[in-house]
Amino acid sequence: MPESKMRYRVALIGNPNTGKTSLFNALTGLKQRVGNYSGVTVEKKVGEWVLDEKQTVELIDLPGTYSLSAKSIDERITVDILGGHAAGQAVPDLVVVVVDVENLQRNLYLASQVADLDVPMVIALNCWDVAERKGLKIDCALLQQRLGVPVVPTVANRRRGTSELSAAALSALEARPKMVRPSWPEPVKKCLEQLRINLVEQNGEKLKEGELMRLLFDHQSAVAERLHTPSHETESIIKTAREQLRFGGFNPDAAESLLRYRFLNPLLMDIIERQAHLKKRSRSEGIDQILLHRFWGLSVFVGMMYVVFQAVYSWAGPFMALIEGATEWLQNFAAGLLTSTPTLQSLVVDGIIGGVGAFVIFLPQILILFLFIALLEESGYMSRAAFLMDKLFQWCGLNGKSFVPLLSSYACAIPGIMATRTIGDPKTRMITILIAPLMSCSARLPVYLLLIGAFVEPVYGPSVAGATLFAMHFVGVLVAAPLAWALNKTLNRGRPPHPFIMELPPYRVPRFRSLLLRIHESGKDFVVRAGTVIFAMTVVIWALLYFPRPAGIEQEVIANYQAERAGILDSKPEAVEELSRRVDAAYLEQSYMGRFGKLVQPVFAPAGYDWKITVGVIASFPAREVIISTLGIIYALGGEVDEESKDLRQAFANARWESGPRRGEPVFNLAVALSLMVFFALCMQCGATVAIIAKELNWTWALSSFFGLTAIAWAAAVAVYQITFQLI
Amino acid sequence: MQLSKIKKDGKFRVTQVNPANECVCRLMSLGLLPGQEIRLTHEAPLRDPIAVCFEGCHMSVRRCDAAEVEVEAI
Repeated sequence: MPESKMRYRVALIGNPNTGKTSLFNALTGLKQRVGNYSGVTVEKKVGEWVLDEKQTVELIDLPGTYSLSAKSIDERITVDILGGHAAGQAVPDLVVVVVDVENLQRNLYLASQVADLDVPMVIALNCWDVAERKGLKIDCALLQQRLGVPVVPTVANRRRGTSELSAAALSALEARPKMVRPSWPEPVKKCLEQLRINLVEQNGEKLKEGELMRLLFDHQSAVAERLHTPSHETESIIKTAREQLRFGGFNPDAAESLLRYRFLNPLLMDIIERQAHLKKRSRSEGIDQILLHRFWGLSVFVGMMYVVFQAVYSWAGPFMALIEGATEWLQNFAAGLLTSTPTLQSLVVDGIIGGVGAFVIFLPQILILFLFIALLEESGYMSRAAFLMDKLFQWCGLNGKSFVPLLSSYACAIPGIMATRTIGDPKTRMITILIAPLMSCSARLPVYLLLIGAFVEPVYGPSVAGATLFAMHFVGVLVAAPLAWALNKTLNRGRPPHPFIMELPPYRVPRFRSLLLRIHESGKDFVVRAGTVIFAMTVVIWALLYFPRPAGIEQEVIANYQAERAGILDSKPEAVEELSRRVDAAYLEQSYMGRFGKLVQPVFAPAGYDWKITVGVIASFPAREVIISTLGIIYALGGEVDEESKDLRQAFANARWESGPRRGEPVFNLAVALSLMVFFALCMQCGATVAIIAKELNWTWALSSFFGLTAIAWAAAVAVYQITFQLI
Repeated sequence: MQLSKIKKDGKFRVTQVNPANECVCRLMSLGLLPGQEIRLTHEAPLRDPIAVCFEGCHMSVRRCDAAEVEVEAI
């Protein structure tokens, strides 16, 4: 499209916790799309920013970063985009730097690094209201004059200042203002020139001055990875330049910070006016006195997590009942329409409607959980949790930053694994990714709810049931911790522990609008990504359970039934129903899935599973949540059952071993229920997770973790069954 | 005195940093340079990491990294 080629592209950049995302949302509204940068899986958000009635530009939300020292993937992406090296994308026409008024100096450090990449710039001074409340006064006009670029005050979360920012961007696209750059001392200039001659002139690399600076100033810069010059040659060129800088009197690791702040400090002279009544200790610090307290902080933390899970357990109930009712009504309606074509009827009722119902039923729980995660993140508590938890992760080579992805994995491993991109160290990130599928994601919840509801709650009451649910969420952690330790011992042998620093941002009251937006995003994400997989699986499993339907089975069952009743074929409704149930069961046993389940049942026998449970377990390898609809079909109840289904619980209670040494005994008991829950807690029964690990790491890791976790899950399930069976 | 050893009461000033430590290097780009005032705000329940405040910025730092920053009481 010629129109999109003509369109201007604007990049949005800023430190973390500056309200960059709020500003992005305020500028683009809901006109945004989320994708990935090509080659890597850093989330790329692009939106439409309407500057005026004639001009709409493409706004790219770059990852939040403190500096451009390209050490993490996020930082490297930022440098590549601003340098115009991202695949198929030219240099942005303008960059909007979001600057937190309260931390002007530190935020302008990033702006100054961006300026060296020679892109036109507009500065958004965000959180203007907070600064005003705290008695900070900024001389905007003077700042603008000294920096040489437009400076616009904004309050992104209240959507104030956006029209002024649009106007400034509009004129900046014409005028192309560039921020004033430091005049570097002679040794730095010499080294940069040396790098330019060696890399750009002699080897034909395309590098701007700002990128040469990254190579010079950053120890092991990721920019070097992009060069096509052989890496040993690049290394020696960079090493020589850094040595030369050291010889010139500047420590290459320290030079940039020292020189840039020396340049920024005089620029900010007389710009900030702090008023006398400025409090020494902030409100956030006061709150932290409790929330980071040795005892109270931990108590609040554990309590908060407990509330989250109890809420998911009970609040979602009414909504789920509603969805269940709607699904049932729809199935009855469709069944009535299609009575003349039994195969089509079964496909529509059990496969299609049941498949849709199977994932829509998760939405209430997922939305509630994501609401809590959004609240924790937006309020600023998430990083406090990382601070409290860091020491616990240190021993196994992880850090507090692993906490956020792992907690997110409690909702779903997919966003959790994607969230690991904030972890700078690749090995730490890899370990976090590999243990993330062990966190009890929300898709396991229905399995827990069904089994707890059927075997724990009726006997031990709702409070033990709640506690069991709580405990199930920690089973994965018990395995994840030693696994992480072992991985760290093997992957990080001989490496020093990875550096870990993290900002504790001021507490903020989460904005209703942004919470809503995040919940909307996660819900949409789930329906699009997981929902389609679950739906497809339900249909495929329906087919595997429905076909081949050999002819003659029905007659055989009827004949057997007649023989049992001495030739009398009863026409009472109960008898007809029983007969039809038997026919269904016979068809199931003969289906492809039934045959396969019987084939592998001996493998699961030590865990107490009969062929029906085995079929359910096997069928849920692509997506664990389908176990319930599979069990529903197996027990001739249809795929529309859910974890609240009384019929399914009844079917569990009635299930008997059909053969073998325990013939006639009940299949299900507490031991089987616990064993099944543990299996589901540990096994990576999720095709989407395998795919995302393959994308973030590689297929070798994805497949090893799949088979590894399956083996661990099997062993644990067997152990739990054998131990519990002895005890009860 | 090392930054890892300071107490909650009192203000300190950075005298020396070791940029070879990657953490310290990052803190430097956030403005933790010689001459900068700094104070300890929190210790995590297991005594590590610590939270320090400089230039209105609250950062969590592990003790082993904080040991690479020298401070003096003011």
